[in-house]
Amino acid sequence: MAFLEFVDVIKEYGAVRVLHGVNLAIEHGEVHALIGENGAGKSTLMKILAGFVAPTSGEVKLESRRLQFSSNTDAERAGIVLIHQEFNLIEDLSIAQNIFLGRELKRGVLLNTQHMNLEAAKALARVGLQLDPRTLVRDLIVPHKQMLEIAKALSRDAKILVMDEPTATLTPVETDVLFEIIAGLKASGVTVVYISHKLDEVKRISDRVSVLRDGHLITTRETASTTQHEMASLMVGRDLEDMYPAKSIPSRKASDVVLELQHFSVPGWAQDIGFGLYRGEILGFGGLVGAGRTELFEALLGLRPRSSGTVLRHGRPIQIHNPRDAAKAGLVYLSEDRKGKGLLVDFLLFQNLTLSNLSSYAKPLLNQNAEQRALEKARDEYGIRTGNLAVAAKMLSGGNQQKLSLAKIMQLEPEVVILDEPTRGVDVGAKREIYFLMSALAAAGKSVIVISSELPELLGVSHRLIVMRQGQIAGVLEAEHLNEQEVIQYATGLKSNLGQHNPVNA
Amino acid sequence: MKKILLAFGAAAVISALAFGQDTMKKSIIGVAIPSADHGWTGGVVYFANRTKADIEKMYPGTTVIVKTAKDAAEQANQVQDLFTVNKIDTLVILPYESAPLTTPIKNIHDKGVFVTVVDRGLTDESAQDAYVAGDNPGMGTVSAEYMGKKMNGVGNIVVLRGIATVIDNQRVDSFEAVMKSKYPKIKILDKKYANWNRDDGFKVMQDFLTRFKKIDAVWAQDDDIAVGVLKAMDQAKRKDIKFVLGGAGSKEFIKKVMDGDPLITADVTYSPSMIRDAMNLTAKARVTGSKMPVKTIIPSVLVTKANAKDYYFPDSPF
Amino acid sequence: MSQPKITPSTNLTKPKLDLSSYGPFIGLILLCVIGAILNRDFASWGNISNVLTRTSLVGIIAIGATFIIISGGIDLSVGSLIALQAGVMILVLNAVFGTLGASFATILIGIVTALAVGFVAGLLHGFLITKGRIEAFIVTLGTAAIYRAVLTQLAQGGTITFTDPKLSSLFEPLYYGTPLGIPVPILVFLAMALIAGLLLNQTTFGRYVQAIGSNEQVSRYAAINVDAVKIWAFVFQALCVSIATILYVPRLGSASNGTGLGWELEAIAAVIIGGTALKGGSGKIFGTVVGSILLATIGNVLNITSLISEYLNPAVQGVVVIVVAFLQRNRK
Repeated sequence: MAFLEFVDVIKEYGAVRVLHGVNLAIEHGEVHALIGENGAGKSTLMKILAGFVAPTSGEVKLESRRLQFSSNTDAERAGIVLIHQEFNLIEDLSIAQNIFLGRELKRGVLLNTQHMNLEAAKALARVGLQLDPRTLVRDLIVPHKQMLEIAKALSRDAKILVMDEPTATLTPVETDVLFEIIAGLKASGVTVVYISHKLDEVKRISDRVSVLRDGHLITTRETASTTQHEMASLMVGRDLEDMYPAKSIPSRKASDVVLELQHFSVPGWAQDIGFGLYRGEILGFGGLVGAGRTELFEALLGLRPRSSGTVLRHGRPIQIHNPRDAAKAGLVYLSEDRKGKGLLVDFLLFQNLTLSNLSSYAKPLLNQNAEQRALEKARDEYGIRTGNLAVAAKMLSGGNQQKLSLAKIMQLEPEVVILDEPTRGVDVGAKREIYFLMSALAAAGKSVIVISSELPELLGVSHRLIVMRQGQIAGVLEAEHLNEQEVIQYATGLKSNLGQHNPVNA
Repeated sequence: MKKILLAFGAAAVISALAFGQDTMKKSIIGVAIPSADHGWTGGVVYFANRTKADIEKMYPGTTVIVKTAKDAAEQANQVQDLFTVNKIDTLVILPYESAPLTTPIKNIHDKGVFVTVVDRGLTDESAQDAYVAGDNPGMGTVSAEYMGKKMNGVGNIVVLRGIATVIDNQRVDSFEAVMKSKYPKIKILDKKYANWNRDDGFKVMQDFLTRFKKIDAVWAQDDDIAVGVLKAMDQAKRKDIKFVLGGAGSKEFIKKVMDGDPLITADVTYSPSMIRDAMNLTAKARVTGSKMPVKTIIPSVLVTKANAKDYYFPDSPF
Repeated sequence: MSQPKITPSTNLTKPKLDLSSYGPFIGLILLCVIGAILNRDFASWGNISNVLTRTSLVGIIAIGATFIIISGGIDLSVGSLIALQAGVMILVLNAVFGTLGASFATILIGIVTALAVGFVAGLLHGFLITKGRIEAFIVTLGTAAIYRAVLTQLAQGGTITFTDPKLSSLFEPLYYGTPLGIPVPILVFLAMALIAGLLLNQTTFGRYVQAIGSNEQVSRYAAINVDAVKIWAFVFQALCVSIATILYVPRLGSASNGTGLGWELEAIAAVIIGGTALKGGSGKIFGTVVGSILLATIGNVLNITSLISEYLNPAVQGVVVIVVAFLQRNRK
């Protein structure tokens, strides 16, 4: 009898069945990876485990006893803790206050703040964070928030710890710390369920791996005897052809430079940045989280203040004060923060699609038929998959949301497309489609800048790669020479080719 | 109490001495009143400022400081400031509300400030030296007497009330008491709050007109409400209503009475000029040392065409 | 207000009808049935036209407030603004009447005055909020106090009225007139609702207002001129107040400190009862219209019956508002 068992678990939301009788066994003390495309049912299954939702039928058994939780609090009390992909932290409370939220330590009726701060510091130390527990969560950078979530879960003495995409925002160094922690937990008898899209991590950390597809459990295998390629194929249900499209490096005559930045600085984030972008080029931007890449491009679009610098379009200086100016100059930017800055999640699909160039649908009243037609066209061109086009954007899966976002910025018919983490939270199949879309854009003569924290992706799609470190360009690398080791050396400061200063010819 | 009497006596002696030496006592008089938030208080502000000029002219050396407040809390602060900053020895106050202001007033009263309270009595009467007020029950009584007589004791009326306060209750209660005892055949069809303003007067009267097919007269109690009532009647083109009785003596309505308006045949005073009377009485008592009556009630008077011109102040905002 | 038309070539299904959005409408119908049972005159044309005419003033303001609230803002100054506009309008008319007399020009000047004051006030709000980066709540709380104080100063604490009765009779048709047997304010209210519905659902401005309320960041990133949209929303709100003023002044021909007191809350309540979320993002003009009528009807039903003690009248209003809010609450 397995330690933790899902028996014929079925979950329906209204008429939609998202889990079709899942049977899954997890052994005590193992690290069990759960993989599958977005919408495969991984999160739902784990939400059932953690008491957030109840199964429509079927049961979950822990040590042969049937679990029945009426809330997540029940589950946590039973030692089952789920760390969400989206942070469950209260921004305006301190680290310690967050860790002890709902189970505050008291002295009599008063809070024992000192004791909580002390305990919080210990919990932070366990995940390798050296932060003052009185710091407000608001002031933490994203990777630290992720580590705090883990510290918070650990402090709850979990027997079963479920992690949903924990490394999405972590740097390689922090990922290493996390893996050490997981190894330590495993050694002390904690069972870990690890959900991830990053198959290399799954390979590295897990003992066994289970694959979900369309609400069915496809298989559970020993990780050691399964290759990453096999995992990917199992997830999508067919053999994956090459992940990345073929590269055709565009010509690099001086007259092909469509955008050039000179001595561009963003206070606190980037200093003296200079580079050129060619027609038909895919230019990657690599570096660690916090290297200033997002901030650089937000400043370029006028979304945050910049201190100096010249921007040239086809060799002529232009002024960009806000995204409208940028759009007029043919520049568009896709934010890494899809829900916060990219899509109106409560709006219908067509309303999102046409938001940036709505005036072209107004004569002067909005022609909603034309908007609908544009949506149908975008659906076909960008492969947005949804049963019903008349739904709010939040009803789409992450990958389809991202394709909609892409379609939305392309409505402006830009020449320069800046994509910030375009595949974050997107499953393997959708990732590949996005890579091919980028390639198609470049082939059509557009220029694409892609910022990504996933090295394989950067190496796979970029014609050239600029690596940033601490707000400066650490290196400009040609596609031919690209390998992960070298990029990491530039990103971490072990290597630099800053000497060559003419950015266009770099 | 004894202490107050002693202080009072001492003050009287001192001022008597001063008077004897042919110099009058110099006084700093603080006047705290609500700001002009509706017509009647607008009148209070107008009369207070006019009387300030009169007093300062009549009693050289005496200073009058007028403060207006938009709520009870602000007025309480003003009372404190008047005492600590302006060093007043005399306070004339029309309290925004009685209860919350009693303690602040008592505090400075205990420190020797002479206090005259106007219109709204304090909950602790020992905090005031004198009380000057309009006659709210009298207003109800006079109104009821006039309407009863004019209707020959028979007919249907509707009543529009003000805002749910002690003042409104006193007026309406005594109105109903007179009707019940002296004119039992006059039927009050209904009474609703119209909040002493024109818009609500209009609205409530519209609904009364929808509901009651035969109304002989309207007691609007207040001239602002009566403005709305008249408009509603005009719109509905109702001829059954013989007259509308307002109240408080606004210049607009006194003028109508004076000019012989067929619907506005009379008005009943509850004049904001009571602040003037209170200030004059207080200043006289303080400067000359004469004794001020503990309670002065300014009666509500029936204004008809005969005496209207005595109550007409075209410069007043009210 | 209409759903997007969907071409037959697609497999789109219409979004399901959401019963919760009919909450206020159901509430209104229930209230009308109760009113008619309690007093047969409730359903008379005279009473219905009284209630609708009464509704139209706050209703027109609430239509403007719908835009503000959908955009994620709030305007607490509308009650004070109508007082100021009414006062200024009457003073200007008093001043020009001597020379222009009872002419069309006089009426025009009155209307233009109200619109001009509204336009300036709306711009002021918009600029303080967007360029000055002050919360709308604070800006309009501040201007509310300022407008009412200026009006009180102009009125010297009293009431501003038409000096010449001929002015009153010149303007009275704007409120009391009944072309086609329907009072002017109802017609204006209806027209404003239709225009606003079109503006909200069929123009870029309306779409942007909703987008900004749904997520201001996303809107900014989507190359929308967020500041301009917000400024125009506040101008639109203030112009709605101007139109209400133009209808209000002829009613009593006066303005005082008490004019429009508390109307901002009534307008906001009408908007929220009508199904617009206070946090912004989406809303319906039709809902606001129903919400305004509902609020006025409660008072009317209470006035034409004596079921409940006059002291408890406000409590009944409170109960009805909460019940309706319950009917239209979002199911989680």
